Amino acid sequence: MFCEKCGKNHATTHIKSVVNGVAREYNLCAECAALYGYGTNSLTGMLASMFGDITQKQDMMDMKKCPVCGSTFSDIAKCGKVGCGECYDVFYDQLIPYLKRVHGSTKHIGKIPNNAPLVVKPKEQTVEDLRNELSRLVAQEKYEQAAVIRDKIKEMEAQTNE
Amino acid sequence: MSNWYKNATDTNDIAVSSRIRLARNLKGLPFPSKMTTEQRIELNQKVKKAIIESNTPFAKSLKYIDMCDVPDTQKYAMVERHIISPEFAGITEPSAIILSADESISIMIGEEDHIRIQVILSGHNLTGAYDIAEQIDSLLCANLPFAFDSRLGFLTECPTNLGTGLRASVMLHLPALEWGGEIEELSNSIGKIGFTVRGLYGEGSKSAAALYQVSNQITLGLSENNALDNLKIITTQLIEKELEARKKLKKTELEDICFRSLGTLQNARILTSGEMMNLLSSVKLGKSMGILNIEASPIRVLIEAQPYMLMQKYGIMEPQDRDINRANMVREAFS
Repeated sequence: MFCEKCGKNHATTHIKSVVNGVAREYNLCAECAALYGYGTNSLTGMLASMFGDITQKQDMMDMKKCPVCGSTFSDIAKCGKVGCGECYDVFYDQLIPYLKRVHGSTKHIGKIPNNAPLVVKPKEQTVEDLRNELSRLVAQEKYEQAAVIRDKIKEMEAQTNE
Repeated sequence: MSNWYKNATDTNDIAVSSRIRLARNLKGLPFPSKMTTEQRIELNQKVKKAIIESNTPFAKSLKYIDMCDVPDTQKYAMVERHIISPEFAGITEPSAIILSADESISIMIGEEDHIRIQVILSGHNLTGAYDIAEQIDSLLCANLPFAFDSRLGFLTECPTNLGTGLRASVMLHLPALEWGGEIEELSNSIGKIGFTVRGLYGEGSKSAAALYQVSNQITLGLSENNALDNLKIITTQLIEKELEARKKLKKTELEDICFRSLGTLQNARILTSGEMMNLLSSVKLGKSMGILNIEASPIRVLIEAQPYMLMQKYGIMEPQDRDINRANMVREAFS
């Protein structure tokens, strides 16, 4: 069997990860396994590896920096540690797939500190909200805007089913 | 109340201790690995002020200790008593700890997160430990702006702690499951449902004295109560399995192991830490099953005879001398 990442060498490392009962398996060659932190005992390396391909793509994509601590997303992905609280906001979209892999969820349920603002971010639109909006636009015969919303719903549904 | 290991009862003692840890960070400050020395000093003072100077009756039982003033031997003895993490003991930058007299509460400042609230109690008492941790958290919360996001919860340096920031663990003594070779399979099954089984000294440590720490892994998308309930279910099942496995042990063989172990502990002149832990595990099992009628608590001896705990009491010494001092101490405890 060839390595799933490079496709060149024989896969010698079999990695099995289970998060919240969802099993994933990877077959990698020694070189690629080391690149992703496996084959060593380093927990940091293993955590970093869970960021997967994002690291390499990110290096090329953007060099956005956190205004508080100066971290870039690739800094975070390399060491598996986040620079400061603000980073979670700055790199929210990039972190979500990783959080999903680690926790099987991306939404906090539990204690809310007394001094936390009740709504820190504008409420995210749910598919249900968009459907209501779609019905309203159709009723008002605003078909162009309705088409945009329809595509957005499709996109969100596809993400949920991933 | 006294330290968890001094309070360990030996009747229903499979669950040796229960620990709660809450990870918290302050808004607007980089996480510890990116902090400057000045920021670390500022953090220590902010937390000290928020707790010690809060004038609550609760705060009066707590003491602020600057870790720079603590000698290494004492730091690592704290690790052995499970008060601080090995990582925290190794920090050379300014850091501090807020500790209760009985050491059941320890608040590490400047560890992997700005604040790590830890409560450790003897026995199977996750709810009791969480209630105390929650009170401290609420006190801090009222006085300090925490890094919190309504979508992601409490923000932490390592995303594996994100959300509730809660890591709960129970230390279990599972000798019969270990002897029967069932522990590995059980650890694997537990791992698949979002829990971790680790050795006596946490992350990366091997099990010793058949002591295993079972803890939750998932902190995002699961409330504190649900996480605690799930862990309680797992640990209760493990305790039941251990009790079943104990029933299957052959009486004479078991008695032989227990009495031989006690005999060695009562007579040895040189005792390494590893040998002592194995023997204490059998003696603990023997005491728990009514085979051995002894006063001393094996868990207390196990903790007090750890390398740094010994050096804290008898002074810095070479490992060979430590083994002699350990044997003397253990002989006295079981005489």
